Amino acid sequence: MDFSFTAEQLMFREQVLKFARREIVPRVQEHDLRGEFDWESWRKLGEFGILGLHFPEELGGAGADVVTSVLAAEALGEAGVDGGLTLSYGAHTYLCADTIFCHGTDAHRKKYIPKLATGEWVGCMGLTEPGAGSDVASLRTRAEKEGDSWVLNGSKMFITNGAIADVAVIYAKTDPAAGHAGISAFIVEKGTPGFSVSRSLKKMGVRTSPTSELVFEDCAIPMENLLGQKGNGFLMAMQTVEWDRSALMAPFVGAISFLIQRCCRYAQEREQFGRPIAYFQGIKHKIANMKIFLEAARSLVYRIAWCKDQGRPLNHLEAAVAKLFVGDWSLGPTNDAMVLFGGYGYCHEYDVERVFRDGRLAPIGGGTSDVQKVIISRLM
Amino acid sequence: MNFDWTPEELKVKNSVKGLFDDVSLAELLALGESDAQELKRVTGNWLKRLAETGYLDLRIGPSNRSDMPRLIAGQEELAIASGSLFLSVEATARLFGGVIAAFGDDAHVGDVLGLLQKGEIIGAVAVSEPEELNAAHGFLTVGRSDGTGYLVNGRKSFVTNGPIADYIAVFGSVDGQTAIFLVEPDFPGVVIGPRIRTLGFDGLAVASMELNDVRIPQNRVLGPFDDNAPLELLRTMEDMVLAIGSVGLMETTVRAALAYARSHQRGGKAIFGHQEIRFKLAEMLTMSQSSRLLAHRAGWLLSVSDPDALAVVRCAKVFAAESSEKVASMAMQIMAGQGYCRGNVIERGYREAKYAAIAGTTSEVARMAIADDLLEWYKV
Repeated sequence: MDFSFTAEQLMFREQVLKFARREIVPRVQEHDLRGEFDWESWRKLGEFGILGLHFPEELGGAGADVVTSVLAAEALGEAGVDGGLTLSYGAHTYLCADTIFCHGTDAHRKKYIPKLATGEWVGCMGLTEPGAGSDVASLRTRAEKEGDSWVLNGSKMFITNGAIADVAVIYAKTDPAAGHAGISAFIVEKGTPGFSVSRSLKKMGVRTSPTSELVFEDCAIPMENLLGQKGNGFLMAMQTVEWDRSALMAPFVGAISFLIQRCCRYAQEREQFGRPIAYFQGIKHKIANMKIFLEAARSLVYRIAWCKDQGRPLNHLEAAVAKLFVGDWSLGPTNDAMVLFGGYGYCHEYDVERVFRDGRLAPIGGGTSDVQKVIISRLM
Repeated sequence: MNFDWTPEELKVKNSVKGLFDDVSLAELLALGESDAQELKRVTGNWLKRLAETGYLDLRIGPSNRSDMPRLIAGQEELAIASGSLFLSVEATARLFGGVIAAFGDDAHVGDVLGLLQKGEIIGAVAVSEPEELNAAHGFLTVGRSDGTGYLVNGRKSFVTNGPIADYIAVFGSVDGQTAIFLVEPDFPGVVIGPRIRTLGFDGLAVASMELNDVRIPQNRVLGPFDDNAPLELLRTMEDMVLAIGSVGLMETTVRAALAYARSHQRGGKAIFGHQEIRFKLAEMLTMSQSSRLLAHRAGWLLSVSDPDALAVVRCAKVFAAESSEKVASMAMQIMAGQGYCRGNVIERGYREAKYAAIAGTTSEVARMAIADDLLEWYKV
């Protein structure tokens, strides 16, 4: 066993922390309250190199390993970047761009990855539908060959970045009778006739990340926009969820470090009964629980990142354990932080309230906690 | 970074695991019915077998902390085989041996260490006292110098291995400073109390002891020390032992509950087929895996003398101890009436699971220490 990070990894983590605190965090609250995507922060994330970290340099990336990418994602959360921006980053880089990178042709890679790596283009991924979530086989969106095109019909629900995406990876049924083996993935560009955003959804948390319903009505795309092999869509989606359950979880873990800092400082400044509330054991108990969760969650998330770096193809059990743990066990610490701040913690003005709201997504997105339990119990 | 066992770690793991077969496991289960004399014989035999694998050499003194990962690899297997034997062996090797190795020199204790490495003696450490133990005020067990040695008086409670030990390292005070007296049970004035009946760990011999004008020669006294280092080292080692013990216990109870859930039929199918049961098992595995990874990382941080190591050890101990209680309770719920009957793995695990949160640094003391560290780190 060896839990060490390289000096380069740790140095980069520090750089991300400093960058995020200076360039992004000052605008976080205002955008969260307005429920608006922060384009300036997005551009800065791209300039800093975060959006394309793990892609090769010749495609505009930084050639980083997965562990470094996860460290960077955790550092964004630790700095106080909101869960909306980190979710947009995750959906863009991992669910969209990485899928194109892993399964696309050279032409796909050259066309899309450089633009996505810099953030010039925004990416999204569409798997979930109004009537099909974790039960992927029940997808109803169809893709049919007509002449020189694939024609898509159907709708996609809860699509992060849907309203602002320039390019989307869309999963659709090419052979409805074949169940999981009848699903394929396609690249759809913004502006394609028949592709539209029907509505944007108002959410409890991760509010700076636009979430939309996408509609495909006789949406014709070129044959070459089939991503990977026909019928391989389910396997591709399963590879993607590993990212959902590691890199996308890392900001939620980092957010607990952020809460610990905020709570420790507040508890020393806030006085009641003639002394700082940090004196009281009930307050210390909450702070200790945040730290215990943080340390336990870190190892789980890094384990998946390390497995991916080793080239181990699918790590479903490890990923589901990490996702279930981060999702369910983080509810206590984020709640405790809000309660520690008392009435202030319940107000939008204090960022612990935002972290509480953002954190509610962790047991829901990328497969609910119940779904993780189904996966774990199937594999144990 | 490496989340796998290295070949060296695997060697220890497999050699410890290889010592146990059905016959020896049955012998260990019967330990609960044994008197102290029989316990001493059986424990002594196991120490000799473990000595042949090199397991007893793996100690954490300040000088050989790098052994921690190999040690943990072996500890897990021993804890899975028998919780009672594990705690008894660890009290000898890591607590007694650890303190002697760290603070004694050859002139004082070279012979004792040699015997210990060969598995020829059983050791114990006596720390707790019936009256409040407070490091700031020192121990109430006191040694007074008579020129060539010390006369020691005091009372100690909950001495693990007390009734079967050949040597007991008794913590006491000399002029307000901590000293360690190497006591043999047949020294005049030493009274070992009757074996205490405890909730769990039926095969572990625990007793209180009294020292009435016990004369300890100078070459059997370590210290006095002008800091609290011996007690801190002891607590850290003990907390690691308890964390790994909890991990082993969880492994045992999850395995037993899973086997039962797969074989026991209700509603026309194995109860594992019901989500109420399999979701519990998924949560149990999640707690078990996250505790295990956290305990591993805590041990690894100790092995590289990381400044955050003590904090993470405390987190690991609290989390693993409390998780093992929850896991044991859920396992009992799954096994229901069968589990509630005396004499099965889950019933035994349920009784044993309470111990780790109480022993070593209690969960309450650990949480306050974790929070105090953080409050100091983020001092306003």
